[in-house]
Amino acid sequence: MNIGDFAFLIPLLPALAFVITLFFGKRLYSGGALIPIGAIGASFIISLLITINILQNPDQVIHQSVHWFAIFNLGILIDPLAAVMLTMVSFVSLLIHIYAIGYMEHDPAKPRYFAETSLFTAAMLGVVLSDNILQMFIFWELVGLCSYLLIGFWYQKPSAAAAAKKAFLTTRVGDVMFLAGIIILFASLFQAFHGEVPEGVYLLQFSEMFNHIDALAAMNATILGMEVSHLTIIALLFFGGAIGKSGQFPLHVWLPDAMEGPTTVSALIHAATMVTAGVYLVARTFPMFLSAPDALIIVAYLGGFTALFAATMGLVMNDIKRVLAYSTVSQLGYMVLGLGMGAVVGLEAIGVSMFHLINHAFFKALLFLCAGSVIHAIGTQDMRQMGGLLKAMPITAGTMLVASLALAGFGIPGTSIGTSGFFSKDAIIETAFVFGEYSHDWIPYIFAILAALLTSIYIFRLFFMTFTGKSRNNAKAHEAPSIMTVPLLILAVFSLVFGALTLKPFIAFMERTFDNNVISLNIEHLATLGNYDLVLEHGPEPLFILWLPVIVAVAGLLISYLLYYKQVIDVSKVVSRENPVYKLLYNRYYQHKIFTELLATRIVYELISLSADYFDRKFIDTIVDGIGKITMSAGNFMRKIQTGVVQNYVAAVVAGVGLLIILFRLIVEVI
Amino acid sequence: MIPIISLMILIALIGAIVTIFTKTKEHARIIALVTSVVTLVGSLYMFFNFDSQSAALQFVDTFEWIPSIGVSYTVAVDGISMPLVLLTSIVIPLIVLYSWNESKNPGKFYGMILATYAGVIGVFTAMDFFLFYVFWELSIIPMFFMINMWGGPEKAYASIKFLLYTHVASLVMLLGIFGLFFGAYFQAGITTFDIPTLLSQYQLFESELARTMIFIALLIGFIVKMPAVPFHSWLPHAYVQAPTAGTILMAAIMSKMGAYALFRFILPMLPFSGSADLMITVLAALGVLSIIYGAFLALAQDDIKRMIAFSSVSHMGFVTLGAVALIPLSVSGAMFQMFSHGIITCLMFMAIGAIQTSTGTRLISELGGLAQKMPKLAFLMVAGFMAYLGLPGFSGFIAEFTVLNFSYISLPGYVLVALIAIVITAAYHLWALQRAMFGVYNEKLGNEIRDITNLQTFSMAVFALLALYFGLNPSPVMDMIITNAEQIVGLMATAGV
Amino acid sequence: MIGLEHYLILSAIIFSIGLYGLMTLNNGIRLMMCIELMLNAAIINLVAFSAYSHDITGQVFALFVIALAAAEAAIGLAIMLAIYRIRDDIELNEINILRW
Repeated sequence: MNIGDFAFLIPLLPALAFVITLFFGKRLYSGGALIPIGAIGASFIISLLITINILQNPDQVIHQSVHWFAIFNLGILIDPLAAVMLTMVSFVSLLIHIYAIGYMEHDPAKPRYFAETSLFTAAMLGVVLSDNILQMFIFWELVGLCSYLLIGFWYQKPSAAAAAKKAFLTTRVGDVMFLAGIIILFASLFQAFHGEVPEGVYLLQFSEMFNHIDALAAMNATILGMEVSHLTIIALLFFGGAIGKSGQFPLHVWLPDAMEGPTTVSALIHAATMVTAGVYLVARTFPMFLSAPDALIIVAYLGGFTALFAATMGLVMNDIKRVLAYSTVSQLGYMVLGLGMGAVVGLEAIGVSMFHLINHAFFKALLFLCAGSVIHAIGTQDMRQMGGLLKAMPITAGTMLVASLALAGFGIPGTSIGTSGFFSKDAIIETAFVFGEYSHDWIPYIFAILAALLTSIYIFRLFFMTFTGKSRNNAKAHEAPSIMTVPLLILAVFSLVFGALTLKPFIAFMERTFDNNVISLNIEHLATLGNYDLVLEHGPEPLFILWLPVIVAVAGLLISYLLYYKQVIDVSKVVSRENPVYKLLYNRYYQHKIFTELLATRIVYELISLSADYFDRKFIDTIVDGIGKITMSAGNFMRKIQTGVVQNYVAAVVAGVGLLIILFRLIVEVI
Repeated sequence: MIPIISLMILIALIGAIVTIFTKTKEHARIIALVTSVVTLVGSLYMFFNFDSQSAALQFVDTFEWIPSIGVSYTVAVDGISMPLVLLTSIVIPLIVLYSWNESKNPGKFYGMILATYAGVIGVFTAMDFFLFYVFWELSIIPMFFMINMWGGPEKAYASIKFLLYTHVASLVMLLGIFGLFFGAYFQAGITTFDIPTLLSQYQLFESELARTMIFIALLIGFIVKMPAVPFHSWLPHAYVQAPTAGTILMAAIMSKMGAYALFRFILPMLPFSGSADLMITVLAALGVLSIIYGAFLALAQDDIKRMIAFSSVSHMGFVTLGAVALIPLSVSGAMFQMFSHGIITCLMFMAIGAIQTSTGTRLISELGGLAQKMPKLAFLMVAGFMAYLGLPGFSGFIAEFTVLNFSYISLPGYVLVALIAIVITAAYHLWALQRAMFGVYNEKLGNEIRDITNLQTFSMAVFALLALYFGLNPSPVMDMIITNAEQIVGLMATAGV
Repeated sequence: MIGLEHYLILSAIIFSIGLYGLMTLNNGIRLMMCIELMLNAAIINLVAFSAYSHDITGQVFALFVIALAAAEAAIGLAIMLAIYRIRDDIELNEINILRW
């Protein structure tokens, strides 16, 4: 038997675990936690074996497909891209589940928790191994549902219920764009087939989509007087979906609020499942972006802007999880920026971006689990009430430091010494440099460098505020139980060494995604369709460029060290509500006011919806009731004729007879 | 061969009459349950023996009724009506189970349910216009009594409005039927009410004016029943004031009567209606208007039942949109939407009925944190809401995706507008959930709140599972639909539309 | 010679008297008497035309009308009597409780 035959079990096992844990979890050990752990563990082993198989033989990817309904199919496609994602998702998810046994120990709703996280993992695995975009969308929405359920896990809290709704609705805006993209793509392909789709051909399969890129590239639509390629529209609509799920500007607003769920859920959302789905979507449909004019440039700008924008807000947050949330938004911005660099470096962009995605998953899961450990110990999320935890929680502090170094990107250029974040983030910054060099557009590079500086500042601010200084809290902190620290240590090891070990082979492996027995594409041809000039060979960058990211990272560390450890100046003077910059950042650029209060409440609800309701009640209903009322009042009026006075009736009869006689005479005369 | 459809209608009618004259609650509900389960077995038998490859009428049962004016009794099913017959016969026993403890005039209550049932099955299977009209009216009258006797505080207003509005519409429809009858009589000298014959005669009518008038008369009759904006104003009152069982009957089943007639009569007549393009534009616009307008109105409601009522309008808009897009699969999607909406809407109204009986209010602003007191209801309600807002995995997604995806091919602009409603739909569902079910428990509701009974859980769970099943595996129903949709669209193609 | 027109004129005069009474009077008994007058005018017409055209049908109808008038008078008087017992009065225009 081939290991690929078991691929369908990868999402199915966690899904089954969901059902079992939900209904029978109450009677099992620790709310049935072992069932999802076992299921995800099995998924991880299958994924790992498949990945090893594909690593040995990248030509032979796994592709299975069955008919579903009408002209759609269900299928599995595990190529290099999907394989590494599957392995990463199941691995990180497994560790988080193990950690959650300790973290969620005292929660009465444990069965529900483990059931939902299990489904969450299943949905994400489903997104990754879909062989067609419709199926991907289905799992994509399922991911959204699980995020809704998990963010609102403590539904008794009004803020949690509100955050859950916000997360679902914000991503839903992106999802609708994604759906529109699918619909337009389908219609265009349908047109390319002249409405006659042969039996057994499933238009929405990735292989089928990519095979007809030439036909799609020939189609143009006119929007506002501009000639736009169908491919650009479709690609940007897909990217709209990615913006929603991956928290890019302006649909990132749900991510910080999503901290209302348990910390382990945040770790899942930010590292393994959910937010990486958007980046994965763009990587998966990358050939369409590559052959769509202007699409990649927009992707790059938006990613770069988000990276910087989110980092500025990360600087001033006091909630430890919110800092990490903005950090995730910012790092996702890097990944999206990396994808956008495909405009110059082609498929290498997927490699760097996915590499950062994987590494980020390790160190961000680690950061969240450490934060969870801290919250678990002292019962608050406010960093102003933390401090001095280094002694009480050495393992947490140590692993947190590793994760922070990885996030900030510490390492020595030119050698293979460095944290995983160093290799992956620097790879993105270097491609941004190459992009600048060849297109003379330095904006993405500037975004990336500035964001790197801010990243280093905010993460070390977090570290110093939490672990050093005097304790500002009365709670007796203690180190977490070993069921929580072991996953931390494992993740710390990966954060430290994964990048150094795998950079070059990883990128080469990723490039095989579009060159195998199922999908085989001529990348240069696609790039010409999209008017991109690819630079396939770019030499070693200048030494200064290689060192610059590390220099800014160290600079960030120093600034944080001086401000929050040595406290050379009193930070609280700058950090006051009077300072307009601080106020702007602290209020998160007034996004809540703009999106929630103005757009959602004022415009959609009050202006449109309530006035439509008023219109319906006062206008349409009045017309209908009015017809009834007119009939009634006409009757009311007419019945007055029945006076009940005999003489009136007699007079009416006489008049009627007289009238008849006259009429009769007239008719006779006319005839 | 056993005349299985006639038997179903007959059993339902006899059951209705017997139940009405039954004195005790226990007897009435047992008779109602047995009757509906027996007919369910009948329709399951048909469903599993249905030939999905054939677009022809199946399980035909026919004899002459009033030969002098060409009325025959003909009942049959095809791919358009089979899913609806199945839906109806699944819904009825579960409604009976759900309202197992009705104690106000129980005999008449269950009797009205069964009478409506007989009427609706008749509407879906009648292949003779005369018979069709008889059943059509038969289904309206019991519903009037249902609202009028068991309804809420404004039941008198709501029931009269429902009766008059839909009855006026069906009179207009009757005029259309007469038009068809006399048209065929003058044109070909035949006296018949046979539906296929009259529909094929219709295209031969010489007068374009007559064709247009007949078309519009029938259209008005059906579109009020669906209903489409702006003919919807009976709906919120009727849905809100009716008892839960009545609302489910109206929303899940009776609104499908109008939509069913759309596929049975309107689409085959459309190419010959004088100005087909104009009609398509108007209908597509009405469909999209219903989708958007219903969604925004639902967002504005505080009464959660009224919200779902408008949401129903919004969902039925997809039927109109998919139908007039005239792509085989968009038409199939529209038909599937009828089936799927029927299943999911039952779950929704049952949940709301349960909230009302246990808390005494339906106003979202007076609820809050119910999930803590009613976990089973909360679970099913979240499932229902997710299904209703079109989450993949539930049947609603299959239907709406198919409609949107394939309608885009012929009506791109309308589809793009309709997409906006998807966000709004999610918004009002989740907002209502957040305010009614989650958050801090509203202490004003008291401590007496009880979770739903096991029977209610069972009937709601069945609908949730059905929605899930047909969301994962739509083929059994979809296949039989597609065959007929292709036939209808093929007819268009030959007529050059 | 008394011709057809004499009968018709007589009948018209009687009819007009009846009609005039019907339109001006208010007492129930008087109204019934006026109706009787009008019926009798019609009967004169029927008989006159019958004799004039040598057709017996008109006279048969006259008998019918007489019988009907008797029945009508009986019912009418009974109603009047009943009303008189309740109200001590048979002014028809006062009897309006079922109006509107």
